[in-house]
Amino acid sequence: MARRTISLRLLTALAMSALLMFAAGPADAQKKGGVLRVGNLGEPPALDAHWTTASITETLTNHIYEGLYSLDRDKKPIPMLAESHTVSKDGLTYTFKLRQGVKFHNGKEMSSEDVVASLNRWGKQSNYGKSLFAQVAELRAVDRYTVEMKLKEKSAIVLISLAVPNNFGAIYPKEIAEKFAPEVKVTEYVGTGPFKLAEWKPDQYIRMVRFDDYKSRNEKPNGYGGGKTAWVDEIRWVPVPEVATRVAQVETGELDFADDLNLDAYDRLKASAGARPIVSKPYYWLVAVMNKKEGLMTNQKLRQAWQAAIDIEPIMKNVAGGKQEFYRMDSSLAPVEITAWHTKLAGLPWNERNRDKAKRLLQEAGYKKEPIRFMTTQEYKWMYDFALLSKQQLEDVGFNIDLQVVDWATLVKRRNNPKEYDVFTTGMGAFYDPSHHIYLTNSWPGWTNDEGILKVQAELARETDPKKRMALWEQQTRQFYEKVPVIRYGDLFGLRAARNTVKGFDESNERIRFYNVWLEK
Amino acid sequence: MAVVVTVVFLLIHLIPGDPVSVMLGPDASPAQIEATRRSLGLDRPVHQQLLGFYGRVLRGDLGQSYFLDRPVVTAIVERAEPTLMLMACALLVAVVIGVPSGIVAAAHRGSIWDRVLMIGSLLGVCVPGFWLSLNFIYLFAVRLGWLPAAGYASLFTDPVSALRYMVLPAVSLGFNQSALIARISRSCMLEALQQDYVRTARAKGLPDRAVTYVHAFRNALVPVVTVIGVTTAVLIGGAVVTEIVFNIPGLGRLVISAILRRDYPVVQGVVLVTAATYVFINLVVDVLYAFIDPRIRYD
Amino acid sequence: MTEPLTERQRWVRRLGRNGGVVTGAALLLLLVAAALLADAVSTHNPTRLTPANRLQPPSAEHYLGTDEFGRDVYSLVVHGSRVSLLVGLTTMLLTSAGGIVIGLAAGYSRRLDVPVMRCMDGLMAFPAILLAIALMAARGPGVWNVILALSVVYMPRTAMIIRSTVLSLRELDYIQAARALGRRDSAIALRHILPNCLGPLLVQGSFVFAYAILAEAILGFLGVGVPPYVPSWGNVIASGKNVIREAFWVSLFPGLALTVAGLSLNLLGDGLRDVLDPRLRVR
Repeated sequence: MARRTISLRLLTALAMSALLMFAAGPADAQKKGGVLRVGNLGEPPALDAHWTTASITETLTNHIYEGLYSLDRDKKPIPMLAESHTVSKDGLTYTFKLRQGVKFHNGKEMSSEDVVASLNRWGKQSNYGKSLFAQVAELRAVDRYTVEMKLKEKSAIVLISLAVPNNFGAIYPKEIAEKFAPEVKVTEYVGTGPFKLAEWKPDQYIRMVRFDDYKSRNEKPNGYGGGKTAWVDEIRWVPVPEVATRVAQVETGELDFADDLNLDAYDRLKASAGARPIVSKPYYWLVAVMNKKEGLMTNQKLRQAWQAAIDIEPIMKNVAGGKQEFYRMDSSLAPVEITAWHTKLAGLPWNERNRDKAKRLLQEAGYKKEPIRFMTTQEYKWMYDFALLSKQQLEDVGFNIDLQVVDWATLVKRRNNPKEYDVFTTGMGAFYDPSHHIYLTNSWPGWTNDEGILKVQAELARETDPKKRMALWEQQTRQFYEKVPVIRYGDLFGLRAARNTVKGFDESNERIRFYNVWLEK
Repeated sequence: MAVVVTVVFLLIHLIPGDPVSVMLGPDASPAQIEATRRSLGLDRPVHQQLLGFYGRVLRGDLGQSYFLDRPVVTAIVERAEPTLMLMACALLVAVVIGVPSGIVAAAHRGSIWDRVLMIGSLLGVCVPGFWLSLNFIYLFAVRLGWLPAAGYASLFTDPVSALRYMVLPAVSLGFNQSALIARISRSCMLEALQQDYVRTARAKGLPDRAVTYVHAFRNALVPVVTVIGVTTAVLIGGAVVTEIVFNIPGLGRLVISAILRRDYPVVQGVVLVTAATYVFINLVVDVLYAFIDPRIRYD
Repeated sequence: MTEPLTERQRWVRRLGRNGGVVTGAALLLLLVAAALLADAVSTHNPTRLTPANRLQPPSAEHYLGTDEFGRDVYSLVVHGSRVSLLVGLTTMLLTSAGGIVIGLAAGYSRRLDVPVMRCMDGLMAFPAILLAIALMAARGPGVWNVILALSVVYMPRTAMIIRSTVLSLRELDYIQAARALGRRDSAIALRHILPNCLGPLLVQGSFVFAYAILAEAILGFLGVGVPPYVPSWGNVIASGKNVIREAFWVSLFPGLALTVAGLSLNLLGDGLRDVLDPRLRVR
């Protein structure tokens, strides 16, 4: 009698433990809860995704808002708030079917009226919106969950424009989209994203908390899209302008994550017990933008001389903190990670470091050592670094460079005025489509007005066949290196740091996202 | 104060750089910039803006921040606590280190202590505060790990952390002033010790210690209080740099970011408030001075 | 029997006997020498970038190490003294000149006194650094802008001191006598009052010199001083702060230089005050 009881108990015990093992899952199971403290560069100018291209705004708004499409791991558009779409035979009508049952943070269900109002607003204010809507004749709601977009001409950029995460077509409730004119920032923040805005104390923190009614997609997480789960209870974004402080705070554990770090910190983050470094690729590719409307740099030979003179690798190496892992030498205008548009062309006059050629070009240009006003800022350290190093290299060849170091606000203002500078520094992020390369347009500072370049850009917006587009893009790349609208340096990678308790972070994304991230105790 | 207000306004508007371009991001078109400027009232002529400013200040309205989407007054009130905390702690450090050192040195004039103090205080006045901050962070936070490198916690929500965060900033800010206070305390004390009434008290047979620390001290207090008033004003300026190095979300950081973002109303507001505070502190010092004037106290 | 000493010789004696004056002056002279002989004393061109050499610790080749661009810290510090001394000296001269004019005007003329004092009070209500930063943001980087900004900031204090000196002198008997005799005010001011202002002016001047050097460094540290590629102590400290873990020497040495400079001027100022105006002595 006793024996049987014991074996029954034993069986039960074994069964229980077996059950428990299954329930617990693998050792790295996601855990709900905790506050994720993230240190970033500073305050966002706005939390209105339509309103600005600032990267801080991009990062923050992509946690609380969503668009119709998003980008997958390969940087191709995949549906987010849209369920699917169809295109008419003539290519001029796109019909989008929306997902049903998606709630806004205020409880309202998302429907076509919200999409139409939001995208119309986006189309008036955002750069990507405006270039798309230049081709749009009409956007209207067909029924509660269907939206129709009628185009004036065939377009290659509909989905990609709706998918781009920067300055994106976030879907707001109709009431909010109509309440705030496009040029005015919204001050009510209601979206469909996995997190909602709880509190914003400028210069102290921005708190986002989990949105319990978030309707996630069923697919696995894929790049910026797919399924999103808010594991942590709260994300607390802390502005820490001093980069040394940001690094120190991750090391000591006051922050769980820090972005935009200086590359010199890599070694000690590697050695750190509680934190680990994350290299982000791509980050920015460095450019010196030439003023082609007025002044000395309207002379193409002068621009070509600059391009010929510089020896890019030592500059990149220094900017990258002396570390090979943090830069990449590449002439392609789309970085390696944008696989669809990366070019491998030979024979381009990039990084020729040919001083004789440069001197010859200077002579041919008729340059008489007039000072060239080169504007940069220390607020983005790498900008200042490559400007200073370039200045020395250029002066060794015979240029006379007047380096003007100003703060970012002044630089951004002055670069809109062709009388105030000749060259300025900036970095380009990754553009997901050739038509998005703003430095190839006439409306962005620098004012690329070369007919050949502008013609190819227009064709790229219209041509829908991918093979033909690639051929056009290669042609454009060659033109770029001949006409030199801007000087392309190399690719710079970024450094982030995370505590070892932060799990699930997708390191392949260009910008940081904290859905699908959890905290391990 | 009227001068202050005008100077502030004119100054800020001389700063080049357009707040709207910064806010809208690098790719905004000129048309968008114009529209936003109009909505913020930036397109009216300067003298109109100045008059409007005066009017609003008198009503207690310091305007709306361009960047932060809230009234300047709110932004200032939100950030006042960390700055006040920092200044109070720094003042505490300065007084607690400075006054006793000065008095002890005076009491033991000519001794080795006195010499050490004089040299120490001289160095203390000369060492740049911000450089000291960097070295403190390197030594105590990064190398030794005893204290946090930067940051702030409110006394009301987390007193222990609050104090830990405050140690390095308060000490590096108060250090220079403590040296100054030490020197002044010492000289005032010396002067007091040589007064007739002290000799009289000694002749009366009062114990030495009592004489020194009670009577002389009371009367040395007067100029020391004055110095404390001046110190506070100097601390306001020093707090700006300290807040930046230690990432304390106070008024100093607010005004620097506002200057960089061309957020005129905020800059005006903060500078105005700071100047007003300075005037107020001077007033308080004057009152205290009258209050503890020895001719009234000593009986 | 020895000759009686002239007034000047007596002053020199007094100054020479004061330890503070001697030490302060000696250190200051050292700095001036470094500034004037910067090119001769430096080991490298401080503005030459050699990226391959970045962040080297102190060695025989680079006495104080190199910074993030491979620039020699020792040469940077030596050349930095130029900016500091230029800013300090010029600011001192400008504030003295301005202070004399304003102080004399306010002290001597009762009509001008009140409005001028109001303006000075208004300006002094600003924390110095804040005013300097705002002025620099308004005018842009550059040595002369820094000097201008700092002169504006420190002038009120000097003016106040001159004013109070003038006020106290104005009531003296021999001044009253001169006026009674019909001497013109401006002549009185020049011959009698001005020389007596020299003492306080020198004392205040030394301190303004010290404040200006420190303020220039703070402005450079915050990034609103002289252009960052110009060697200055504040700029070098700023460039060193991000690499303080990897290369503490970059921020360390310019800071020491600042301390020494401040020390020399404070000693000088204290000593001068002891000698020239015993009433203000800090014994």
